[in-house]
Amino acid sequence: MSSVARPAFTGRKARFIALCLLPGVIFVAVFTYYPMIRGAVIAFQRYNLFDLTSTPFVGLENFRSVLAEDRFWTALRNTGTWVAVSLFFQFFLGFGLALLLRRQFRGRGLYQAWVFFPWAMSGFLIGLLWRWMFNGQFGVVNDLLLKAGIIDERIGFLASPGWAMTSVIVANVWYGVTFFAIMIMAALQSVPGELYEAASVDGASRLRQFWHVTLPHIRPTLALIVLLRIIWILNFPDLIYAMTGGGPAGGTDIVTTFLIQQVIGGDYGRAGAVGLLVLGLLLSFSVFYLNVTRFERSR
Amino acid sequence: MRSSRLAAPTALLAAATLVLAGCGSGSGSSGEVRLRMIESLTSPERTKLIKRLIADFEKANPGVSVELVSPPLDSADQKITQILQTKKDLDVLEVRDHTAKSFSNNGWLAELPTDAWPGWADLTDLARKKAVEVGGKPYLIPYGFYQRTLFHRTDWGLTQPPRTWQELYEAGKKMTTGDRYGYSFRGGKGGADYAVMMISAYNGEALDPEKSFFLKDKRTIFSTPEAAQALDLYVKIFKEASPPDSVSWGYPEMVQGFTSGVTGMLIQDPEVIKTVEESGVQAWSTAPIPKGPTGYAFQPVGYAGWGVTSFSKHRKEAVELVQFLSEAKQSIAFAKGNSLIPISRQAQNDPQFSQGAWKAYLQAQQDPQQVITIRPVDYPGWSQFTVDSDRDVQALITGKKTVAEVLASWDAFWTDQAKKVS
Repeated sequence: MSSVARPAFTGRKARFIALCLLPGVIFVAVFTYYPMIRGAVIAFQRYNLFDLTSTPFVGLENFRSVLAEDRFWTALRNTGTWVAVSLFFQFFLGFGLALLLRRQFRGRGLYQAWVFFPWAMSGFLIGLLWRWMFNGQFGVVNDLLLKAGIIDERIGFLASPGWAMTSVIVANVWYGVTFFAIMIMAALQSVPGELYEAASVDGASRLRQFWHVTLPHIRPTLALIVLLRIIWILNFPDLIYAMTGGGPAGGTDIVTTFLIQQVIGGDYGRAGAVGLLVLGLLLSFSVFYLNVTRFERSR
Repeated sequence: MRSSRLAAPTALLAAATLVLAGCGSGSGSSGEVRLRMIESLTSPERTKLIKRLIADFEKANPGVSVELVSPPLDSADQKITQILQTKKDLDVLEVRDHTAKSFSNNGWLAELPTDAWPGWADLTDLARKKAVEVGGKPYLIPYGFYQRTLFHRTDWGLTQPPRTWQELYEAGKKMTTGDRYGYSFRGGKGGADYAVMMISAYNGEALDPEKSFFLKDKRTIFSTPEAAQALDLYVKIFKEASPPDSVSWGYPEMVQGFTSGVTGMLIQDPEVIKTVEESGVQAWSTAPIPKGPTGYAFQPVGYAGWGVTSFSKHRKEAVELVQFLSEAKQSIAFAKGNSLIPISRQAQNDPQFSQGAWKAYLQAQQDPQQVITIRPVDYPGWSQFTVDSDRDVQALITGKKTVAEVLASWDAFWTDQAKKVS
């Protein structure tokens, strides 16, 4: 890009271009940046739905009260588990699925469509489905395990903290595998076929081909989609909220479900503060991550 | 880069749509009045019923048309709040008991005239009381009430319904064998409400029904030894008479528990009557909710109603619509369609509300020791408490917190709230 000189736009042409861009700029400004900035400002106000006639600025009070709560720190720890474990399984299962789906076989198109279907569903709906499937009394998961003789007694999956976290992560893995499969498949298709031919002429085994041809080629894409996925998993309270509401007793609370609870509690100021904290966390993580993976230069 | 070429026209289109949407309400071209109305507790059947009633209103009032907005239930109140904040294009709205205070505090609701309206005299005492509950002025007319009642199996060895929480515990324990449990416990969302119900019953006469988290001597209901007794029993009911899985049960699971034959008792709102009737459960009945050792039972009555916005450009017509919906014929039809306790005095003569499962409500209404309370929804911390207390209840029944710890924190919270209000 930098080696090509940009054509200079001047006079009428420039004004015309600016005019054409204006609606887009206004749209983004009004619907993305205004709410974002307003939300950030609210974080420094006493902004309780109970009384919106008095919303004074209170400095860092909202941040102080959030950070002083054990619940926030529990939620932060849970967020780590939720993101790391979900990501691990989503990535490796998604990778495997992509490799399998790369081969030609009869009905592949149809099969792909089926595999990718979950990605098109709303997280809240998926959460409701899994909530019933994991139900300790009427859930199909318990039923299957009982009939298969794996367990003797029903498990209250959403009733104990350990099981509840496992359950929401299983649901999340089921949902997110698809994303990785789509993205990795797309990346795999960009690897030129000649490279494999050349490699096999040189006598490289399948495994070596994968290691020395496939991986280096798709590495930048992998680095980027992992980062995107981390951000999305963290910003995906829908599933947890529908399945457990953060319970039992905060056992599956992550920072974003904690944020929702602040909103429901009517305290938009605190919710804004949590939002800003999450934003700061993600920004600093992204900078760190991109530095470590050297995304820009690895191409 | 095809997407960026599309972005500008898309944005333009969106902007145009918004401008057009802004013109949606207000007067039509032929000098006709168009009212815009929004509902909150949206469900397909109910929306149909409201539309039928609106059609009747339009027929009776030529020149007035009503557009009904039906946002999805889960986000409806947030959406209504957003519209109210813009102060535009809304005339009639559904106000719920927990939104009434903030809507009126923020000056979004108009006071409804009652003097020249004959329908006012036909409302039950409860309906008239609830209409003026917030701010002492009629900011809404309720359309019906929700109150809890005890559903119980009559074929699981129960000779008569439990009258006290202690009896409920004993009966529940007897019913609990194998795959069956005595009680549909609510440990998930809304669970703390049941703990409060028991604590209130144990405090008995000392409780102030008008400010139901406080005693008449201004202490909180969580500060007494009776409160500890109640919570101890509450935990025992969970441990010995309820499904272990009910730690996470909310409304759908508890109802499902009863209708699928897993649990023998359930305390719920009247809309469940219809669900149970349609289920496979044959031998069942209803009774008033259990009392404490004091002989008292307390519960709030849930309600919602219709209100008019303070910024409506057609206030006269909007008020007429609310009054129309609140008159006997329409309000009884609405209560029947939604399994609500009706607001009209004339409903007492209606067989549907005096027989079968509904009889328990009449019974409760006639018992002076079944007291209707007002929850402290007008305290700034109310919403926060509903979120926090559910979590505390889960911590309590899973053994992470003790009865004393939970009560101490609730007592501290409400002692502090009392200072903020007075």
